[in-house]
Amino acid sequence: MPIHEKSLIRPENLHTHDELVIDGVDVSGHWSTFIESRVVSDYNEALEDEIAALPGGEQIHRCWQCGSCTNSCTVNAINADFNPRYWIYLIRMGMESELLRDKDIIWQCVSCNKCTYACPRDVFPEGVMKATAHWLERRGHTPKSPSMHFDEVFTEQIVKTGKIEESRTIRRFFARTKQSLMQPWMIEMVKKMLSGLPVGLLTRMGLATLVAPKTSDWSRASAAIQEFIDEQHEQQEQALNLARLAKSPPQKDAA
Amino acid sequence: MSKPTLIVGAGPAGLAAAHSLATVGKESILVEKEDILGGAPILSGYAKLVPSGEWAKDAIGGMVKRVEDESLVKVETGAKVTNFDGTPGNFHVELSNGSKHEVDAAILATGFTHFDSVNKPEWGFGTFPDVVTTTQVEQMISSGQGVRCPSDGRKPNRVAILLCVGSRDRQIGREWCSKICCTVSANMAMEIREELPDCHVYIYYMDIRTFGLYETKYYWRSQEEFKVKYIKARIAEVTSDGEKLIVKGEDTLVKRPITIPFDMVVHAIGMDPNVDNPDIASTFGIDLESHGYIDVANRYGGMAQTSRPGIYVAGSATGPETIDDSIAQGHAAAMAVLSSLKEAIGKSA
Repeated sequence: MPIHEKSLIRPENLHTHDELVIDGVDVSGHWSTFIESRVVSDYNEALEDEIAALPGGEQIHRCWQCGSCTNSCTVNAINADFNPRYWIYLIRMGMESELLRDKDIIWQCVSCNKCTYACPRDVFPEGVMKATAHWLERRGHTPKSPSMHFDEVFTEQIVKTGKIEESRTIRRFFARTKQSLMQPWMIEMVKKMLSGLPVGLLTRMGLATLVAPKTSDWSRASAAIQEFIDEQHEQQEQALNLARLAKSPPQKDAA
Repeated sequence: MSKPTLIVGAGPAGLAAAHSLATVGKESILVEKEDILGGAPILSGYAKLVPSGEWAKDAIGGMVKRVEDESLVKVETGAKVTNFDGTPGNFHVELSNGSKHEVDAAILATGFTHFDSVNKPEWGFGTFPDVVTTTQVEQMISSGQGVRCPSDGRKPNRVAILLCVGSRDRQIGREWCSKICCTVSANMAMEIREELPDCHVYIYYMDIRTFGLYETKYYWRSQEEFKVKYIKARIAEVTSDGEKLIVKGEDTLVKRPITIPFDMVVHAIGMDPNVDNPDIASTFGIDLESHGYIDVANRYGGMAQTSRPGIYVAGSATGPETIDDSIAQGHAAAMAVLSSLKEAIGKSA
């Protein structure tokens, strides 16, 4: 499959004005539709290295544009605009402005990894999609996705305690994503759980909510994991030149 | 075998032919219009040759020395053939320096002429000093000066190499592929990246023809090891914003017009027929093929034959050719001369 056919004029580049006069000429209305330039005016040579610095993106330089990833892609079958091959090309050539046009669909990768198996060059396109989605978030082009929030809540808890306490994870996830805990499905679930009166389970859950369960002697392991995470994070910050942008580090207020 | 053989042109093909004849004890007269031997690789100051990676002044210089040291080769520099007549085995030659010779056969190794980029004015050569040709970059490298912008001598941070300048361009009557420019450009891109690691090199192509084994050593290696970027785009125009060169065109993979700033633009110039070919054709009474190169009369049954018996041709006089193949053709033409004389000897005996 070739890099997808797309309409040369994107809808967002079309502008009409209800009332506009330029140099005494009335250019209002549909008949005077303006089309914004679609010219690529520069390359960002750092782009490939930045994506390669994020987990999953390391092999992007190996791509030879065969298109196997896009051909095998689950999401592409539904949405032709979802085109890993095309994005890999843009990243490698440094066409950042073109990449950003698709910022709202890149995160849609479902991680089925069909591309991973189809790729003859071990580019690991699924990883590249993940790295690109993270790059977009860290650069501030897209808001932090719900799944990113979930990953963070989950990781923070593991690092802190060595254990997962589901109700805490759920509560923090809803809080971070500013969702109400009173979801209809949640209420239904709790009702059904209560109807069976599982006394032992409810007691354990109640206790776990009050006292966070913790793996014994966890502090040294926790410190080591945290040190590794900080190290990785620092490397990525440097690669993306984010220190320059004075971005605040992600929250570390765990469990 | 009493008469010498005339060889016209002392580039790779002519030097190979002269050497070949000398190795079997046959005399030759090597006529070169320039004052030094070596042809384009020496005259144009090429740097490292494809695919050996040897410096031109060593590789071709070695061939020159071998011929200069050979007593069976009579070298005539600064001379052109002004008159040529007779029959195979018995030709009369007059040179522009006045000397006259009797020869048994002639090998034309008259080569090509580099495309003159001013014939593509839209690509800025001759208008902007930082638009240069592959030949000029070769000279920057071979002279030891390094790749620098001619306008102010600065190191470029971003270089564009435009392929097919004077090749595959019907608009200016040059339909042919010059065959070697893709490989030379990939090699040059790697040399630039090697000398200036912070300089990014973009190659704008319509197709990449790093044919045969060059695919691995130049096409893939330049991308994988040297991060040279290949962009499928036919460039419409090279202009300037006063500071940088602006390359305009369309990236046909992305389907977006591009206007990208560059420090230096390199034209990968093609191989034109030798500008002297019409004169050569009339002096020797031979045919040119439709593009203006010397026509090869028999591709299969005989080696290196022109339309006139007794006159042979080798190297890029017949069309765009690599140095390696020019050398092989020079040897082949020498063999063709020898076998034709054997036939003549056999018939007369």
